[in-house]
Amino acid sequence: MPSQPAALAARLPLTGTAPPPREAMAVATLSVLAVLAPLVLGVLSLAPNRLLSPRAAAMPQTAGVIICLGLFLGFCLGTALLARRAAWLGWAELAAALALCALLAGIGVAAGEVLRDASPAARATPAAGFWMAMLLLALAAGCCAAGRGGTPRNFMVAVVLGFGLLWAAGLLGNLSVAREASARGAEIRAAAIQHLGLSGSALLLALAVSLPLSLLALRHRKLEAALMGVANGFQVVPSIALFGLLMGPLGALVSWAPGLRDWGVGGIGPAPAVLGIAVYLLLPLCSAFLAGLRVVPPALIDAARGQGLTEAGILRRLRIPLGLGVMLGGLRVAAVQAIGLATLAALIGGGGLGTLVFQGIGQLATDLILLGVLPMVALSLLADGGCAALQAALERGP
Amino acid sequence: MIRFEGVSRRYGEQAAVDRVTLEVPRGSICVLLGESGSGKSTLMRMVNRLVEPSAGRVLVDGRDVAGADPEELRRGIGYVIQSVGLFPHWRVADNIATVPRLLGWEPARIAARVETLLELVGLEATLFRDRFPHELSGGQAQRVGLARALAADPPLLLMDEPFSALDPGTRRGLQVALREIHAETGKTILFVTHDVEEALALADRLAVLDQGQLVAQGRPAALLEGAAQGPVRRIFGEESLAFHRLATLPARSLARVGDADGLPMLPADATLKQALMLMLSENSARLALPAEAGFGGGTLHWTDLVTAR
Ligand SMILES: Nc1ncnc2c1ncn2[C@@H]1O[C@H](COP(=O)(O)OP(=O)(O)OP(=O)(O)O)[C@@H](O)[C@H]1O
Ligand SMILES: [Mg+2]
Repeated sequence: MPSQPAALAARLPLTGTAPPPREAMAVATLSVLAVLAPLVLGVLSLAPNRLLSPRAAAMPQTAGVIICLGLFLGFCLGTALLARRAAWLGWAELAAALALCALLAGIGVAAGEVLRDASPAARATPAAGFWMAMLLLALAAGCCAAGRGGTPRNFMVAVVLGFGLLWAAGLLGNLSVAREASARGAEIRAAAIQHLGLSGSALLLALAVSLPLSLLALRHRKLEAALMGVANGFQVVPSIALFGLLMGPLGALVSWAPGLRDWGVGGIGPAPAVLGIAVYLLLPLCSAFLAGLRVVPPALIDAARGQGLTEAGILRRLRIPLGLGVMLGGLRVAAVQAIGLATLAALIGGGGLGTLVFQGIGQLATDLILLGVLPMVALSLLADGGCAALQAALERGP
Repeated sequence: MIRFEGVSRRYGEQAAVDRVTLEVPRGSICVLLGESGSGKSTLMRMVNRLVEPSAGRVLVDGRDVAGADPEELRRGIGYVIQSVGLFPHWRVADNIATVPRLLGWEPARIAARVETLLELVGLEATLFRDRFPHELSGGQAQRVGLARALAADPPLLLMDEPFSALDPGTRRGLQVALREIHAETGKTILFVTHDVEEALALADRLAVLDQGQLVAQGRPAALLEGAAQGPVRRIFGEESLAFHRLATLPARSLARVGDADGLPMLPADATLKQALMLMLSENSARLALPAEAGFGGGTLHWTDLVTAR
């Protein structure tokens, strides 16, 4: 049959050399820059003690360090090459994560070597090249994820797992952040719990206010306009200013009814912080609730009413189940926003991870700032991921 | 069954329904016909209190609906709308079971009822019971909508342009199905449409609305008898009025005794409009009518048809 080879020939180029995805070039560039950054900017720096500023340190040429750096180089290259096939973008993302972990392991091992001959007060910290490489690899992973039309889940999971493994293996213990962390372990845990408490109570408070108000606003146009006006209005006030504004009235309240002080209410401390954060959450929550409650088209409501469903029944059987996805989207935004805003509570004596951050800024101690920021990022990612998983489960569900 | 007594509904200055008095006899299909915005939906929705009248009253079975609990009233009246309004997150069986569940029926009774209803509206239960609404065609969805309205066996059905979003073939199929269900169950049906052909295909009684006012009512044949005037003439279409009138008259009323051998055969219950269409398509000036209970059969002549009054 003469037509068969022709058909084969026509098919072959398609399967053989599929055009690389649009992201291939960007990922390759980012990976190459990620390799160059440590060479140009240095990966490790050494400070004689906690307060003196660090200087660039040469990487020791031990086997461990060389293996790690070799892996880093290999995975960077792998990222660039894997990104040339659309079907392999997921693996490219994974390679970027592994490159990052290899570099992290490299400086961990190197820190141990360098500190062995230094005074006990000396500190080894990652240098600019390390941070730059991390950022570039994250961007590369983001590009890969965009090419697959999603979030860089592979990257994040692999980085978190890799970090956990390296930590558990004790490879990171010699970095100054780790030393600072083990010195202040209890303090960080307390701050993280406080932080969760602040953002959690603010979220609950905002939910308790916005849920009933949104339900009422569904029926009363004027209330809706007022509610959205207020919620929008608060967004314009800078958060620090709002915390400041709340100090006066709450202080006055406590001096009028001193019993409240036992409940933690006061001009400074957690009370105004929680109140202030909650106020900012009104907008994402109310607008998502109202949008969610309105997902059901009027004709469907009419059909339901015509069959004798009560207003409560319509809410329970139609509005809530059909609008839940949209409402959870609002909850997701609000949860992440709450964790971010809770940082500022430290400024008015409310505690939380912000305390570490601002202390670190005051002392120019990068490690301390990191110890505040890293748990915060983890909390945000956890909250966001949890809500997203819930949302996805609902969308797949009945 | 339903009595509208001087019913009006005003929105601001404008009267959507203006002093309508109308009686819908038990067991009949009454079609509300009118142009868009003439107040058909508003009038119908006053029966199950989705709209409250500004004046007058609506009686169902002799009782003023204003005195009834709205939810209870609605559970006792079937309601079908153009957009169907099936709950998208419920399976077909659950959608049909909405009102029986609200009434607290036993699950076994509900399941049996769903089965019966799906067969009644011409859908195979095993095939359709567990589908979601988005897995149905428009016509199938509207059949499910009809089954849902019939679920708790209400004596009265309200249908607001239920078939107008469907293609002509599907629409005719559903009209036939509705007539059959009506013959089988004897429900009283109030049916809203703006489609003249649909109105004539379904109506035992016709009520024509124009700008909120009832401008004509009665049996379709009587309504189109002679030269209809004013709004009725406009709504039925000046040029096709005579044609529509043929649709209101039974073919057998003009039958002659005669030899029907070899002539094209009409169904026994055909209208003169169907007879005319058959003559045109078969190029025959004469048609045969089959014998049936109380009717001896015969032939239908073109000359009788064009002079029919
Ligand atoms: N809730 C309302 N508020 C104000 N005006 C209304 C309302 N409902 C109906 N109307 C007005 O009443 C008139 C009749 O409306 P209705 O819905 O009864 O018409 P209809 O005959 O069903 O028309 P269609 O065939 O387009 O459905 C229209 O002019 C409409 O604008
Ligand atoms: Mg209407």
